[in-house]
Amino acid sequence: MTSVRGGSGFRRVRQLLPSSPLRQALVPLFAVLLLGVVFNANGAFLRWQTHGAVLREVSVLGIIACGMTLVIISGGIDLAVGSVLGLGAVGFALLTLPLGFSASVAIVLVLALGAAAGALSGLLVARVRLPPFIVTLAMMVFARGLAKQLSGGQKVSSYAQTADGQFSALVLPDIYSWLDGRVFWGQVSVVTLVFAACAGVTWVVLMRQRVGRYLFAIGGNAEAARLSGVPVRAALLVAYALSGLFAAVAGICQAAQEQQGDPETGLGYELDAIAMVVLGGTRLSGGQGGIGLTVIGVLTLGYLQKLLSLNAFSTETRLMLTGAILVAALLFQRSGRARAEA
Amino acid sequence: MGWLAVGATSGCDRDEAVKGDLAAPAEANKRFVIGVSQSNLGEPYRVQMNADLAREAQAHPELTLIFKDAQNDSLRQRAQVEELVSQGISLLIISPKESAPLTEPVARVYEQGIGVIVLDRRVEGDRFTSFIGPDNRRIGQAAGKWAVEALGGTGKLVELKGLMTSSPARERHQGFWEGVDRERNPGMEVVFEADTEWLEPNARREMASALAVHPKIDLVFAHNDPATHGAYLAAKAVGREREMKLMGIDALPHEGVRYVREGLLDVTFAYPTCAKEAIELALKVLAKQSVPKQVTLGTRRFDKTNVEQGGVALD
Repeated sequence: MTSVRGGSGFRRVRQLLPSSPLRQALVPLFAVLLLGVVFNANGAFLRWQTHGAVLREVSVLGIIACGMTLVIISGGIDLAVGSVLGLGAVGFALLTLPLGFSASVAIVLVLALGAAAGALSGLLVARVRLPPFIVTLAMMVFARGLAKQLSGGQKVSSYAQTADGQFSALVLPDIYSWLDGRVFWGQVSVVTLVFAACAGVTWVVLMRQRVGRYLFAIGGNAEAARLSGVPVRAALLVAYALSGLFAAVAGICQAAQEQQGDPETGLGYELDAIAMVVLGGTRLSGGQGGIGLTVIGVLTLGYLQKLLSLNAFSTETRLMLTGAILVAALLFQRSGRARAEA
Repeated sequence: MGWLAVGATSGCDRDEAVKGDLAAPAEANKRFVIGVSQSNLGEPYRVQMNADLAREAQAHPELTLIFKDAQNDSLRQRAQVEELVSQGISLLIISPKESAPLTEPVARVYEQGIGVIVLDRRVEGDRFTSFIGPDNRRIGQAAGKWAVEALGGTGKLVELKGLMTSSPARERHQGFWEGVDRERNPGMEVVFEADTEWLEPNARREMASALAVHPKIDLVFAHNDPATHGAYLAAKAVGREREMKLMGIDALPHEGVRYVREGLLDVTFAYPTCAKEAIELALKVLAKQSVPKQVTLGTRRFDKTNVEQGGVALD
């Protein structure tokens, strides 16, 4: 690491690096992994169990980062994802536990709710032309309020208080333990596969569907895109609706892992998701980026947290190190980008 | 705001209100409105406190409760206290968000001759009628003593702390290690500690790290039950949940007590909601009887031997 920090050494290393965004995103990830190998906490970092845990822990954030990628590429932002996640978790727990819906019906309803919340934001951004920051900030507050309203401010679990103050235990449906379980000989968490599937869907939307091209065009220059016949409104609606949908997926995964629907869950997750997207190299101003980059950003931040956690750094140190490393990674990316554009 | 003064009984339907049974006893043609100012309803403990207050008040038909939720905002809580006073309350029950900004508003109510009962968190000085609070340090000490007994004085511990910038977490931490008394029990060794900010997903992540680093863990002490539940899930995911004792604090009926009943947690210590004592004191204050300035509540221990009997009281 000293050679990277040193003046001429830094320049030399930078010159050796290719300027493709994907490879630039990989450098911070490899740097974090290298740190993990050095500070391996008695070998804990080198065991597969740890990597499986990282992949499980980043999944919920990764799922909302998928939707965030679509929205950011379109030149927008979605601050509502953390709250819609909470709403999804509460909705899923309410439907499956006290209301007794089957898991599949509950999943469909919750996904529809998330997509509707996202679509409403999209409608206000695309049709009424309100700034995405304000619209999704409003949705963030509203969805959190709705989650608290539906749950009565309490965590929704298999343990329900009846009117006379007694408690009755419901059977936790199998979907909870299945979603929180592992497959492939107990090596891979189901939520990790859900994340992979969401990333796959995002890749298809961005790279194999016309709407993906449109989103890049809108993020690059919305006015030029409109003049060249891009259906801006419809494309933005799709992006925000998908972001809401993914947030609902994440909410279901969160509820399954916590075995309850907590109206407070997902608080502040939108900022982590934005950090992951930007760390990957997708431009916050829109028009450039990709889901592969986001996956790398998700892993970088996830491994960084695991590294700090394994070595039992204090919270104060963790926050300061995370901030410093984020800035270092972004500075590194920008220097690479400037060189590529020169 | 004069019209609000009529609201002694009618104004309360502007907010969530719980009215006593209308079949009032003959002597109780006197009715009292009690304003309840809650710092937030985001924490399950506070939701439970309000529910318990409402339930305790139901036994007293002369009492009407008006609840206000300050949503974790000191200035909003101050405004709500002033609203309650202008609504003509006879007594204020307040669980303040923080002491400094609410000391003066509470004192102004008290100096108008309205009784003020402060719950759980303190205000500064002595310009209030009575303070009822659990003692986090004593709860921590009880937990520490239990840990020593459960392990026979030797073992590897994981401590999952609450938000360490908040006083309950600091006091639970301090009390626990006083209870453990490492001078007498040097074998009680903490091998991993982390700040979970009271959150279950964080606790699960930290516990996964602890499990990855330490091949043997004898006991997990978490500062709240959701964190202990997170630790349980992490241990279960690697098939090690039977290896260790799991301890929590708070003992809310639908969280800690339930986890003990289901055998997920070994023990939890109650952080009482103060509601029963608050209503008892309120009745005395309204009847112009003298009340103690400070009431410190003990805790209850819930383990599998006593959970069905409602735990056992510790002083």
